[in-house]
Amino acid sequence: MARIGVFVCHCGENISSTVDCAKVAEIASNYPGVVYSIDYKYMCSDPGQNLIKEAIQKHKLTGVVVAACSPRMHEPTFRKATAEAGLNPYLCEMANLREHCSWVHYREDTTTEKAAELVRVLVEKVKHNEELYPIKVPITKTALVIGGGIGGIQAALDIANSGHKVIMVEKNPSIGGKMAQLSETFPTLDCSQCILTPRMVEVAQHPNITLYTYAEIESVDGFIGNFKVTIRQKAKSVDHKACTGCGLCIEKCPIKKIPDEFNAGLGNRAAIYVPFPQAVPNKPVIDRNNCTYFLKGKCGLCKKVCPADAIHYEQEDELIKVDVGAIVAATGFDIKHSDFFPEYGYGKYPDVIDGLQFERLASASGPTLGVLKRPSDGKEPESIVFIACAGSRDPAKGIPYCSKICCMYTAKHAMLFKHKNHHGKATVFYMDIRAGGKMYDEFVRRAIEEDDVNYIRGRVSRIYEKNGKLIVCGVDTLLNSRPVEIEADMVVLATAAIANSDSEELAQKLHISYDPYHFFSEAHPKLRPVETNTAGIMLAGACQAPKDIPDTVSQASGTAAKVVALFSQDELTREPLIAYVNNNTCVGCFLCQSVCPYLAIEKEEIRRRDGTLVKTVAKINPGLCQGCGTCVALCRSKSIDIHGYTNRQIYAEVSALFNRREYAGV
Amino acid sequence: MSELINKVSQFFSSGIIDLFIGYKKGRLGEGKPAFFTKPEQLNELIFDENCIVNLAVYLRKPELKKYSKIGVLANFGTLRALLQLAAENQIADGQYLILTVADGKVLEFANLKAIEEYVANNLPKPNPERIAFLKEIESKSREERWEFWTRELASCIRCYACRAACPLCYCEQCLVECNQPQWVGVPPTGMGNLEWHIVRAMHLAGRCIGCGECEAACPMEIPIGFLTQKLNMAIISNFGQVPGTKLEPDYALSTFKVDDKENFIR
Ligand SMILES: Cc1cc2nc3c(=O)[nH]c(=O)nc-3n(C[C@H](O)[C@H](O)[C@H](O)COP(=O)(O)OP(=O)(O)OC[C@H]3O[C@@H](n4cnc5c(N)ncnc54)[C@H](O)[C@@H]3O)c2cc1C
Ligand code: SF4
Ligand code: SF4
Ligand code: SF4
Ligand code: SF4
Repeated sequence: MARIGVFVCHCGENISSTVDCAKVAEIASNYPGVVYSIDYKYMCSDPGQNLIKEAIQKHKLTGVVVAACSPRMHEPTFRKATAEAGLNPYLCEMANLREHCSWVHYREDTTTEKAAELVRVLVEKVKHNEELYPIKVPITKTALVIGGGIGGIQAALDIANSGHKVIMVEKNPSIGGKMAQLSETFPTLDCSQCILTPRMVEVAQHPNITLYTYAEIESVDGFIGNFKVTIRQKAKSVDHKACTGCGLCIEKCPIKKIPDEFNAGLGNRAAIYVPFPQAVPNKPVIDRNNCTYFLKGKCGLCKKVCPADAIHYEQEDELIKVDVGAIVAATGFDIKHSDFFPEYGYGKYPDVIDGLQFERLASASGPTLGVLKRPSDGKEPESIVFIACAGSRDPAKGIPYCSKICCMYTAKHAMLFKHKNHHGKATVFYMDIRAGGKMYDEFVRRAIEEDDVNYIRGRVSRIYEKNGKLIVCGVDTLLNSRPVEIEADMVVLATAAIANSDSEELAQKLHISYDPYHFFSEAHPKLRPVETNTAGIMLAGACQAPKDIPDTVSQASGTAAKVVALFSQDELTREPLIAYVNNNTCVGCFLCQSVCPYLAIEKEEIRRRDGTLVKTVAKINPGLCQGCGTCVALCRSKSIDIHGYTNRQIYAEVSALFNRREYAGV
Repeated sequence: MSELINKVSQFFSSGIIDLFIGYKKGRLGEGKPAFFTKPEQLNELIFDENCIVNLAVYLRKPELKKYSKIGVLANFGTLRALLQLAAENQIADGQYLILTVADGKVLEFANLKAIEEYVANNLPKPNPERIAFLKEIESKSREERWEFWTRELASCIRCYACRAACPLCYCEQCLVECNQPQWVGVPPTGMGNLEWHIVRAMHLAGRCIGCGECEAACPMEIPIGFLTQKLNMAIISNFGQVPGTKLEPDYALSTFKVDDKENFIR
């Protein structure tokens, strides 16, 4: 026989101002199976919880219904109290009288009546509740960090310094990401490489970090604490153990005119190359798409000159399997290039460049050794126009969001130009200046007030070439939308920050969600900004949304803290509210397998004692199942149920509302 | 017919099969399902256009468990049912000996893959009369359609002959027999009948191979085949999935494709 206790909370006045709580408790006391019913001002307070604990013991309750706020708020509180009184915590349910009733209705008799009905529903449900026990899963205390930009580097170092193993996978030949390409960084104008490269070296030398560069994620299986990852180590064609990094091969390679990715296409590199002098690892790889040996089968010069015999043309891609407990996605972002803009000549004018190209021109390690020279003829520009929001905040271009970093780096670019050429003319076209952040607005003001950068609020409609000059046509919206035309030697577009082209594919491999622009989605925009909806997979940096370095680094450290917290336990305790299969009725059609978004459904063979196969049925992996219930809806024979939300429980709830008595148990 | 009989009796004598499911002449000239366990019985074996019963329905019956290897004389519907059953993990390659007769010649399928190819090359056009009838129902107003179906389904006596005849209704416990809880009402009354038929149609959406056995079995002559047919037409036109043509599971209700045309789902 069920012995249910009902505890109606006033929530101060939150509930009691529109619901007659005493009346609800009184009505509930007459529901079949209810042996104790009471109302109280704050059920979540200590005296309130004691009321529950004492009643459980005194009245030998078999189930508890707390009619109060949302279970999101206090279910853990009341389940804990229930457990402390010696009753299985999963025999406690909450009826939400606040969000579902008092907050959305006026004080009327029907409001109290509805509250009583909500209690009735949960009383009927709890009669069918079963004792449940948390699930334990072991944890592999190694983290996988995908992407070796500043986000990945920070996360990896923080985790490794806490004493846990880290595997870092970077798809380029060197780690460093976009930050390695930057010249100086806002808001302090310190040299990007100077602050970054020591950390890159730290990653390479850290005893807890295993680094795979020129590598990608092939596949990801498993679940939190227990991921099985296959890494594709692309063939470098150079044995990095033997290679001494002397660089003779690069010198001798006859193919030297390949546009250099690191210099944003403004310089050239050889077919065997190290992307930049401070690269980590500082050893070359062969770009097989451009190497004569791989294209035509002859050449072999690099192999001939290598004193260490480190060149191995026959090397093949290698698949490396690793077990990890947590995954950090830190794959960063990309930017649109000038060819995205018909109004600015579709990349036709070599002196209309994007922000990264400007960084490379301004960088002491860049193709011009830090002297600003324009790409077309190498002339040092006297007038530069910077265009902010190139593509961003432009629904017509399919990019309605703000790229966040451009206002700041445009101010930085204008300043860098002015510092290099004091008499130069710097003009910025902008929509709004978004400089929220510590020292950020001061930074922009400095550009305007101290470095005399001319800020014009308005859009640029067209750029054309006339007598070797670029003519930038726009409007000044602060001067009655007066049209303006500015002659420039070079134009820098602060092009929109976008997701990597392979980010959708990676998200699908990781089974994490992503937004319409293919940035990865966080679990909650405010309260869980570093986790994804897939347990055990976290985010760091610009792969989640465009971000600057301070934000990237803070998020990376936040993510590292989450990983370390996970690794601080030996076993993972999970809520047992997951699906399970009735082996008797399951017919093994496995149509449920493909419906599970978490790939939690496996096959299980049922055998007799003598080993003969009786049948193959579905089996839910308790580590993977998130209890979403999709499979329950799909299974035709109703062979799947969810602990805590069984068909019987749901049916009892629905029937209670219809006030029918035909459900089982009463 | 002699080629067929000779072949099957050879299978018996060489011990390849110990049961053969085929057809014999029924009282009204129809092809009646027949179970042959000895070559001597085979003189009754027939195969013609009246042999329309879908024999795949028998394969999952417990009564057949005692036979070690079963041969089946498959009409087109049976072949498609076999493919769908294979996709649903119900039968395995090599488990049955499958024959059909095409252009007067006996065809023996080496494996399920061969059936997949044969079915792909011989898919019939939808029957124009049925399409015309569907169009007629579709042209009615919502209210008229509701009225039509509630009237038709009201006569259902819940004998479940449609379910028994369907090669794809193989669940050991059908939802309607599930009584803890009893989601679908059992008595043959308006609401319960509607629930049953919505459940039946939804459970076969994207799986029904359109053999027509359910409708043929119905003693009340309810045109229930149109419900599944209509659902399948929607699935074929929206997702290009044709049940009973593929060995690999390809089920619109449970799969998600990256290139789905609906953007909200991605
Ligand atoms: C022109 C410009 C100027 C900027 N100036 C400043 C500035 O002055 N100050 C500032 O604070 N911020 C600045 N930023 C922003 C800064 O670049 C970013 O905040 C920072 O790079 C984000 O770091 P991240 O690690 O998230 O991404 P990234 O730097 O993009 O690094 C991502 C890494 O992941 C790797 N990767 C990508 N996909 C995969 C994959 N599938 N598998 C394995 N590896 C992968 C990439 O190769 C890369 O190494 C600027 C940005 C631009 C475009
Ligand atoms: S649980 Fe249901 S859907 Fe899954 S294999 Fe079993 S019967 Fe099929
Ligand atoms: S409840 Fe959801 S997550 Fe769990 S097995 Fe079913 S479909 Fe997968
Ligand atoms: S037509 Fe009827 S009997 Fe044939 S598969 Fe479809 S539902 Fe089953
Ligand atoms: S065969 Fe006809 S009468 Fe019998 S259950 Fe099916 S639809 Fe109803």
